[in-house]
Amino acid sequence: MKTTVEESTVLDAKVLELNMGPQHPSTHGVLRVKLKLDGERVLDAECIIGYLHRGVEKISENRSYIKCVPYYDRTDYIAAVSNVYGYLLGVEAMMQIEVPKRAQYIRIMMTEFSRISSHLLWLATHAIDIGAMTVFLYCFREREEILKLFEALFGARLTTHAFRVGGLWKDLPAGFEEAARKFIDEFPERVDEYEQLLTKNRIWMARTQGIGVISGKEAIEWGLTGPVLRGSGMKHDVRKDRPYGGYEEFDFDVPVGENGDTYDRYLVRLEEMHQSRRIIQQVLDRLPDGPVRGKAPKIVKPPVGEYYSGIDGPRGELGYYIVSDGSAQPFRVRIRPPTFISLQVLRRLVRGHLMADVIAIIGTLDIVLGEVDR
Amino acid sequence: MIEILLIYAIIPLIKIAVIVLFLSGAIAYLTLLERKLIAHIQVRLGPMRVGWHGLLQPIADGLKFLLKEDIVPAKADALIFTIAPAISLLPAFLVFAVVPFGPPDMLKDFLSWILGWFPFLNLDPETIARIAENSIASGGYVTDINIAVLFVLSVSSVGILGIILGGWASNSKFPLLGALRSSAQMVSYEVALGFAIIGVLLVAGSLSLVEIVQNQQQEQIWYVFVQPVAFVLFFICGLAETNRLPFDLPEAETELVGGFHTEYSGFRFSLFFLAEYANMIAVSAIGVILFLGGWLRPFPNSDWLSFLDFIPGVLWFLGKVFMFLYIFIWLRGTLPRFRFDQLMQYGWKIFLPVALGNVVVTAAVLLAFL
Amino acid sequence: MMDFLRRIFFVDILKGLALTFRYTYRKVYTEQYPLEKPKLAGRYRGAPRLNNDPVTGETLCIACDLCAEICPEDLIVVGSQRDPESRKKVLTHYTFDTSRCLFCGLCQEVCPTNAIELTQDFELAAYDRRSMVWDRKQLEKGWDRIHFGKDYHK
Repeated sequence: MKTTVEESTVLDAKVLELNMGPQHPSTHGVLRVKLKLDGERVLDAECIIGYLHRGVEKISENRSYIKCVPYYDRTDYIAAVSNVYGYLLGVEAMMQIEVPKRAQYIRIMMTEFSRISSHLLWLATHAIDIGAMTVFLYCFREREEILKLFEALFGARLTTHAFRVGGLWKDLPAGFEEAARKFIDEFPERVDEYEQLLTKNRIWMARTQGIGVISGKEAIEWGLTGPVLRGSGMKHDVRKDRPYGGYEEFDFDVPVGENGDTYDRYLVRLEEMHQSRRIIQQVLDRLPDGPVRGKAPKIVKPPVGEYYSGIDGPRGELGYYIVSDGSAQPFRVRIRPPTFISLQVLRRLVRGHLMADVIAIIGTLDIVLGEVDR
Repeated sequence: MIEILLIYAIIPLIKIAVIVLFLSGAIAYLTLLERKLIAHIQVRLGPMRVGWHGLLQPIADGLKFLLKEDIVPAKADALIFTIAPAISLLPAFLVFAVVPFGPPDMLKDFLSWILGWFPFLNLDPETIARIAENSIASGGYVTDINIAVLFVLSVSSVGILGIILGGWASNSKFPLLGALRSSAQMVSYEVALGFAIIGVLLVAGSLSLVEIVQNQQQEQIWYVFVQPVAFVLFFICGLAETNRLPFDLPEAETELVGGFHTEYSGFRFSLFFLAEYANMIAVSAIGVILFLGGWLRPFPNSDWLSFLDFIPGVLWFLGKVFMFLYIFIWLRGTLPRFRFDQLMQYGWKIFLPVALGNVVVTAAVLLAFL
Repeated sequence: MMDFLRRIFFVDILKGLALTFRYTYRKVYTEQYPLEKPKLAGRYRGAPRLNNDPVTGETLCIACDLCAEICPEDLIVVGSQRDPESRKKVLTHYTFDTSRCLFCGLCQEVCPTNAIELTQDFELAAYDRRSMVWDRKQLEKGWDRIHFGKDYHK
C-alpha cells in the first residue's frame, strides 16, 4: 500500500505531508492525523494517538472495585453514564448482586439520556465541522437540559459517577420526573429543527452523501459497532442481541442505514435519539416503586473468575472484561472502547477523498479521544 | 483659482476622508453586528461586557490588535508577509472611490450653506452657487468615471493577491492550502460574477455606476426586477468573492484552522479581517447600485410612493446595504460549508452557464423588442 | 419536476433561513455567567466542607478515617489523637487536596456523621497549587471565593 503512494500524485508532484492535530479544531480532542496529500486529495492518513493516555486500565488494577468507578467517567467523558453502567453490570454479575427493579429502570433511563446527550454533542460538533455553526448551539441547548437532569440526580454534570454497586446513590429528586417528561415532550420538535437546518439542505447532503462509504460486511471485518455499523445496514445492537439490565422489557427499534455513508450514519443517529426517547417514555410510564439500592456488601470482592460485560454505548459496543483474583482489587480490567476500534477505519475511509472530507469522516466516526487513549 | 482648488482638490479630499473614516467605523461595527446577530440566531447574547450590550467591543478589539506583539514567523518571507495584508485591504477601500452614495446633486444645498461660513475664502454668492452646481464637488461620490464597473472588477481582483501572497509568504502548509483554495475560488467566481453584471450593463447601457442608477430612475424600476437571475447569481458569486459562508473555504476554521491567515496575528491579522469586511460592504454597495437602485426609493419616479421621498437618498442607499449585510450574516448563521470541488463544480458547471445564458437571453430580448 | 423547482428556488435553504430568523428575535437561552449565578441542584458535588455541630460548634468528625480509606485519589489525610481520659479519637488535623479531587462524592457517602460534605460552591480556581490543599480551618469555614474586582459577585 505504501509504495503506491508516491506514484499516485496527479501531476507527478511531491506529496504534501500535513499534520492535522493534535491541536486542530476538528480532531475532537488531541487526535493527530498525518495526512499525505496530493493537493487536497488524501493519499494516505495515519492516526497518531496517545496524547490523552492516562492509563485508566492500569489505575484500575490499583484501586478497589468501588474506587475504580469514577475513573470510568473519564474515559468516554461524553457518555460517562454508559461507561459506569457497563462496568457495574459486570461487577454485579460477578458478585450476583440483585439490583432492585426501580434502580434498573432508572439506570436504563439515565443511560438513554446519556445516549441522547452524546448524540447531541456528536451532531453539534459534526455540524460545526462542516460549517453549520448554529446547529452546534441548538444542540448544546438541549444537552444542557439533560445535564441539568444529571446534576439533579447524580450531583454532577459531566463526570457523573452515576451509579453505585447494587443500584443508585439516591432516589430521584423531587420534580425530576416532571422535568424529564417536559424534556422528552419537547425533544421531537427540537430534532425537527436540526433536520430543517440539515437533512434536506443541499450543502449538507453534498458534504455527507457518498462520503466515507463502508459496506456492512467490511464494517464487521473492521470490528465496527454501534451507529457506524448500523449505518451500513447491519442490524447489530447489544441491547437487542444480548439484552442486559432489563432492556428486554422495553420496546424500541434499531434503525439501520442503507448506503453506509456519512449521511446514513447521520440519519441513524437522529433516529436513535427518537428511539431513546421512546425508551425513556416507557420507563417514566412504568417506573415501579421500591428501593433503589440492593443489598451489596461494603467491600466488593468478586469470586475468582473472568467476566465480560458488553453494553451498547452511544458509540458502539462498550465492553469491560474484568478478571478477578478474589481480592478487593480487580486483577485486570480491559476496556473495549468502541471508538478506538472505529478510529482504525479512518485510514481506509479517507483515502481518495478530499481534505475537507477527512473532517466529515472524523466527525461521523464520533470519536472521543478520552476513550481512544484511555 | 480658489474655486478650482475647492472643486477638484479640497472638497474631494474631504469627501475621501469622510468616506474612509465612515467606512472604518462601519467595518468595526459590522463585526459587532455580525457577532450580535449570530449570537441571537444561536439563542445567546454575544458581547455584553464592554459598553452597553457590547457597544464598545469593536474599539476594545481594535486596541487589543494594536497592542499585540507583531510576530513574523522565522521561516516566512518577511517582506511579502508584511505587505500582504495591506495589499488585501487597499483595493477593498479603493472600490469606494467610484461608489455613489447619493445623487450627483446630493451635497448642493449643504455646500452652498457651509461655504458661506468661511469668510477667509472671500467667496461671493455666485461662485458658491457655481461650486455647488458642479457635480464633482456636490455629488454623493468621490468620482464618477465612465468605466466604473470595470474599475470595480479589476481593483477588487487585486485584493485576492494579498490573500495569495499572505498564504504563500507564511511558508506554512495550512495557509498555503488556504491561499490555493482562494485563488482558484476567486478566479472561477469572478467569471460568473462578471457575466452576471453584463446582464445589467446590457439593460443599462452604461458602465458608470451613477448612470446605471439614473437609468433605473428613468425606467422607474430597479434592475432586480428586470434581471432577477443576474441578481441571484451576483449575490451568490458575491458571497464567494468575499469568502463568506457557505463559500468560506479559504478560511474554513474547522479544516484549515483559519486558512491564509493562520500565521498572522495582531495588527496584520486585523488588516485581513478589515479587508474581508470592507469587501463585504463593497460587494453589497455594488449590488445595491446595480440591482436595487442605489439611492432610489422603491419604484423611483412613480407617484404613488412619493410620500417616501422625505427620506434622503443616502439613507436609502445605506439601508439597502445594511439589508445586504444582514443577509450575508444571516446566511452564515444558517448554512454549512461547501467542499472545494463542489464549489468549483457549482461555479463552472452551473453559475457560469446560467450567467452566459442570461446574457444571451437579455441581449436577444433587447434586440428583438427595443 | 417538483424536486427540480425546489432546487432552483432554494427551498431547502430558505427553510433553514426561516428557522434561524425565527430564533433571532426570541429570548436567549444562555446565562450571563459571572453576573448571573446558575442555580445548582442540592446534590451538586463541589467544594468540600467539614461540618461543625450547629449547636455546640464542635466538629462532627470522629476521625474514623473512612473518607481517607475510600478516596480513590488518597487525597484526604485525617490526623487524630486518642484522648487519654475518654479513650475517644479526637481530630487533630484534616487536609483535603482539591486540586486532585475527582468530586466522586464517595467520602461524603461513607461519612457516618455527615462531617465531610461536598457543597454547591464550584469556583475553585486558585492562584497557586499549594493553596488548593485545604486545611481543617479552611474546610470548616467553607470556600470563600476569590474576588476579581468590585461588583463581580453581587
